[in-house]
Amino acid sequence: METFKANDANRDELIMQQQREIEKEISDSTPLVSDQLPLTCLKAEYNGDDIFTAKIQDLAKRYKYMRRTRPDGNCFFRAFAYSYLEYLTCNSHAYQEFLRLAEGSKDKLIELGFPSFTLEDFHETFMEVVKRVCPKSSAGASEIVQTELHKVFNEQGYSDYVVVYLRLITSGQLQEDANFYQNFIEGSFTIEEFRHQEVEPMYKESDHIHIIALCTALSAGVRVEYLDRGEGGSVKTHDFPEGTDPKVFLIYRPGHYDILYPI
Amino acid sequence: MAGSALRRLMAEYKQLTLDPPEGIVAGPISEDNFFEWEALIAGPEGTCFEGGVFPARLVFPPDYPLSPPKMKFTCDMFHPNIFVDGRVCISILHAPGDDPMGYELSAERWSPVQSVEKILLSVVSMLAEPNDESGANVDAAIMWRERREEFNIIARRLVRKTLGLPT
Repeated sequence: METFKANDANRDELIMQQQREIEKEISDSTPLVSDQLPLTCLKAEYNGDDIFTAKIQDLAKRYKYMRRTRPDGNCFFRAFAYSYLEYLTCNSHAYQEFLRLAEGSKDKLIELGFPSFTLEDFHETFMEVVKRVCPKSSAGASEIVQTELHKVFNEQGYSDYVVVYLRLITSGQLQEDANFYQNFIEGSFTIEEFRHQEVEPMYKESDHIHIIALCTALSAGVRVEYLDRGEGGSVKTHDFPEGTDPKVFLIYRPGHYDILYPI
Repeated sequence: MAGSALRRLMAEYKQLTLDPPEGIVAGPISEDNFFEWEALIAGPEGTCFEGGVFPARLVFPPDYPLSPPKMKFTCDMFHPNIFVDGRVCISILHAPGDDPMGYELSAERWSPVQSVEKILLSVVSMLAEPNDESGANVDAAIMWRERREEFNIIARRLVRKTLGLPT
């Protein structure tokens, strides 16, 4: 009987367990979001590689610092959330607008059919984080708020709940405009399946479609710099959505997003 | 991390107590440890498991609900989707990508908005309608498919056993 492979199932469970252990090793050795590092620290990773060295040189003309995020499949969402909230900590007007949007997002998701009982928890924690990084006008206050932001993003409980909530907002956006997003989905997935399999669960990596949906839902522009082995000697730049005025800057290397700081 | 898991588990327990789904009772074994639950599941009506009350144990990871719990029946079970040792094998107990049984792409998976209630309801459906494509118990799957009468007799014996009746 080809379909029944109980022994294989046990072997698969062992493989899964091993994978968990590898993931644990990564998480024990990498912070969720690192301190600000000079962009040139990338060079050490590609020592002797001409293509990457030239591209990092090119990138260094526009960016001075970066922050690394933990490569756990949540890096886009975590990097985005950190970077956008960091922008909001020193832009009171934009912060207030975002606060309103975030407050209202729960009811919108419930209207879209998300279970209010389980949604509540994530929304509450998300709002708590947003409120903890509220911009303050007194002298030296912005530094205090940024320290708070960094602290909260490195506390797994808070940091992961922020990721979950952004995943739900992304999923909601895909559902709301399903006809549009269906065009971007490869294979035989329906939007519904894609949301449940590739967006809502933790640790699933993000693609362009996740980025576009999240940026649209939050009306927040993102610029991504692509550092890969492609020709040309300069990094490719892409803004989401196109023509936007980006507030979040990310560097993408195949499989991973980190945060960038423009000069 | 365990703090948010505990908060969520307490909320789920409260919800299940206030508004329990039909045929399901579930809660922590001891108030000191919310990460281990016992559940009692009534065999669905109109199936060979009707009348039985099946006890199971749920163990939650510290990062619940980001990751799903594990579930194991603690009584004797004979079912295509339950391992001989009682472990339950359904797609909602796995995140996408964790694929010990090669579930269909469209099968319902774990995500943080799922809940204990959703899991237990899926288990009730599984008792009513085994999925003989993903066989955790090969013998049960073959018998379910090819010798249903024999399967029903075993199931009814298990039902009597859970009720403490002579088999």
